[in-house]
Amino acid sequence: MSEQYPALVVIGPLLCALLVSVAGWLRPRLCLPLALLGLGIAASSSTGLLAQVLTHGPVTYRLGGWAPPWGIVYHVDNLNAVVAALVSWVALTNLVASYRAVMTDYPEKIGPFYTLYVLSVTGMLGMVVTGDAFNLYVLLEITSLTGYALIGLGGGRAPLASLNYLFLGTIGASFYLLGVGYLYIVTGSLNMADLAKLLTPLHGSLALLAAFAITLVGLWMKMAFFPLHAWLPNAYGFAPSPAASLLAPLMTKVMVYVMIRVMISVFTVEFILSEVALSHFVVWLAVAAMVAGGLLALGQRDLKRMLAYIVVAEVGYMVGGAWLGNKLAMTGAILHIINDAVMTFCVFLAAGCIYQKTRGTAFEDLQGLFKKMPWTMTALAAGALAMIGVPPFCGFFSKWYLIRGGLEAGHWGFVGALLFSSLVNVVLFFRIFEIAFFEPMSHGHGGHDGHGEQGGPVALAEAPLSMLLPLMAAALGLIALGLATGPLVEKIILPIIPAGLG
Amino acid sequence: MKALALAIVVLVGGLLISATVDFPDWGDPASPAALHVSPRYIEKSMEETSVPNIVTSVLADYRGFDTMFETTVVFTAGVACFLLLRRREPRPGPSRVYRHRASGVIVEMSQAPDTEPAPEVFKRIDDDWTPHDLIVMNVCRLLIPFIQLFGLYVIAHGHHSPGGGFQGGVILGASVILLALSWDLRTASLRMKEVATGLMSAIGVFIYAGVGALALAMGGNFLDYAALAPILRVDPVAARSLGIFFVEVGVGLAVMATMVLIYKNLASEGRLDQGL
Repeated sequence: MSEQYPALVVIGPLLCALLVSVAGWLRPRLCLPLALLGLGIAASSSTGLLAQVLTHGPVTYRLGGWAPPWGIVYHVDNLNAVVAALVSWVALTNLVASYRAVMTDYPEKIGPFYTLYVLSVTGMLGMVVTGDAFNLYVLLEITSLTGYALIGLGGGRAPLASLNYLFLGTIGASFYLLGVGYLYIVTGSLNMADLAKLLTPLHGSLALLAAFAITLVGLWMKMAFFPLHAWLPNAYGFAPSPAASLLAPLMTKVMVYVMIRVMISVFTVEFILSEVALSHFVVWLAVAAMVAGGLLALGQRDLKRMLAYIVVAEVGYMVGGAWLGNKLAMTGAILHIINDAVMTFCVFLAAGCIYQKTRGTAFEDLQGLFKKMPWTMTALAAGALAMIGVPPFCGFFSKWYLIRGGLEAGHWGFVGALLFSSLVNVVLFFRIFEIAFFEPMSHGHGGHDGHGEQGGPVALAEAPLSMLLPLMAAALGLIALGLATGPLVEKIILPIIPAGLG
Repeated sequence: MKALALAIVVLVGGLLISATVDFPDWGDPASPAALHVSPRYIEKSMEETSVPNIVTSVLADYRGFDTMFETTVVFTAGVACFLLLRRREPRPGPSRVYRHRASGVIVEMSQAPDTEPAPEVFKRIDDDWTPHDLIVMNVCRLLIPFIQLFGLYVIAHGHHSPGGGFQGGVILGASVILLALSWDLRTASLRMKEVATGLMSAIGVFIYAGVGALALAMGGNFLDYAALAPILRVDPVAARSLGIFFVEVGVGLAVMATMVLIYKNLASEGRLDQGL
């Protein structure tokens, strides 16, 4: 069975998503168990795959039994094995955490909701494990399409935000496809490893440069890299909580993974460092992303929208790290994919818990929450400390690598922006804590209730246990990841850093 | 802002066009695309998959995994439309109009009834109802079976001639939509219920992925149709050809049902009571 892990990671959830859809029409009660089964298969086989890759080296799986480059292959090394495990576990935890919200908010549509949820995860996992440039595009379509639908389900301006995302996302995906088309015309191949070999003699050709540029811009659009981020804050801010805590942590991170994969496995770092003289320009864009993301977040009066702008800044960290052009920064960027996914998940899930109880995440809704929801707020604090970069939490370690990478490259702008963005995070989160800790709860209209007098005991109104336990798991995961930084870097990340980096 | 956008468009377009100077000549037989992977598809397709139509063998076998997910994309679009558009509450409106089928008498109800009267006895007339067009209705009624027969042929004959699951599925779906356009949405819904469209679109993709998973269970890789040879009692190459046929049927089913599902939801604002 273990040699089938690469296929099971993707087809397990795919088959279960189809069964969820059937169950949605016939036996809606079976939807959640089937969705859990699908993501359970994905999580267990991706974990098995990671263990296998770490002990025996990279795995290649031929779909349909055809050898590359004629058929499609899955090529799994440390990098995609660890990202696949990350995606599947975060998605599974979020599925458990969000079932209560889905049941109460969309009781009539749980079938299609869970179908799209599981399909979305299938798409992300497929993008991560594939070794074929066109197969990646097909899975990108699935993830995007499910994302548009899940976001559009939210209330208020969500459909409009989703439509905006659809326009920009479609342009981004088309750019990627166009880039792959250019590569196919000049090489005749779609297999990533094969492409890397065939492209070496073509260095210097304008077509190759255009293909690279257009692929990259397409991917930047999908990951909301500044200044192509305009769709993200509304899309993630208005999305229903269960979808926001799935897409916000994973979608951008998977796209950053794809960018790094395309950079190191298709075009190779030699090409990027010597032929594309853009490294400096891209790092400055990343600096702009960090600064602008932070400043725009400062202007928000809603927790979810503020978090969405922080995501924009975090994308800047990872893109900048990948383009600084040395091993330390690349290590930091890859480590930050893992860390940022878990911390974004933690804070968005906490926002989802708050929404579940208060039906709003505007700053006024947060008043007095430390007394009402102590556990949720503790987890939010843990996520905030990780995002700021306080040592025992994982965010510190990836920032440490990024800063060292920036220093080694002598790029002071990047180092400065990273420190600035961390300071902005301090301001952002402590403003939230001030509101939630010190400001008393609003008393409703005309003080008609006798409870909750100032100074009196406040009734606990915690989120349900099914939300709290996954949230606690995520918060503890932040510390666990931080403590595991050493082995994570030594065993998983360093072996895949290309030797061509300085 | 508009000037900036125009400048970017011109710049990007210029880059993309100028990059084409490095492309091989149009139709060049010595171009990389013609020399690298294509020769094997062209020379070995018949020998390896026993499918004379190379497009089909590449689409459903060599790169069949992509096609499975393309079918999933179609299915996803249908589910997404359903999720966002479908509404259960009835259309707000002052009155409803019905025609008693036997007598032809037209009845107007001032308030929407709690339960719809039996459709065999009372035919509901749409708000923007136009009188029957006997010619259109009967011509379409005559044509639809032949359209569907042709759709089945296109699915089944994809091995030998242009066609296959996607094209055949679209033809089948169009036949149901034609019924909805020439008669009305309710007549089409009576022929093909909402549950049926939902189930068929999922089952169609499931057939595709299930054939692949069956191959995996038989000890081959996912979608390696040759592993199905022992069940089908044929040699591995013929098993590939048959495997392609099964997945094409799945594709046809999924595409047809999804087209109908999307049409119904779009045409009736998700209420499925009356359409275009």
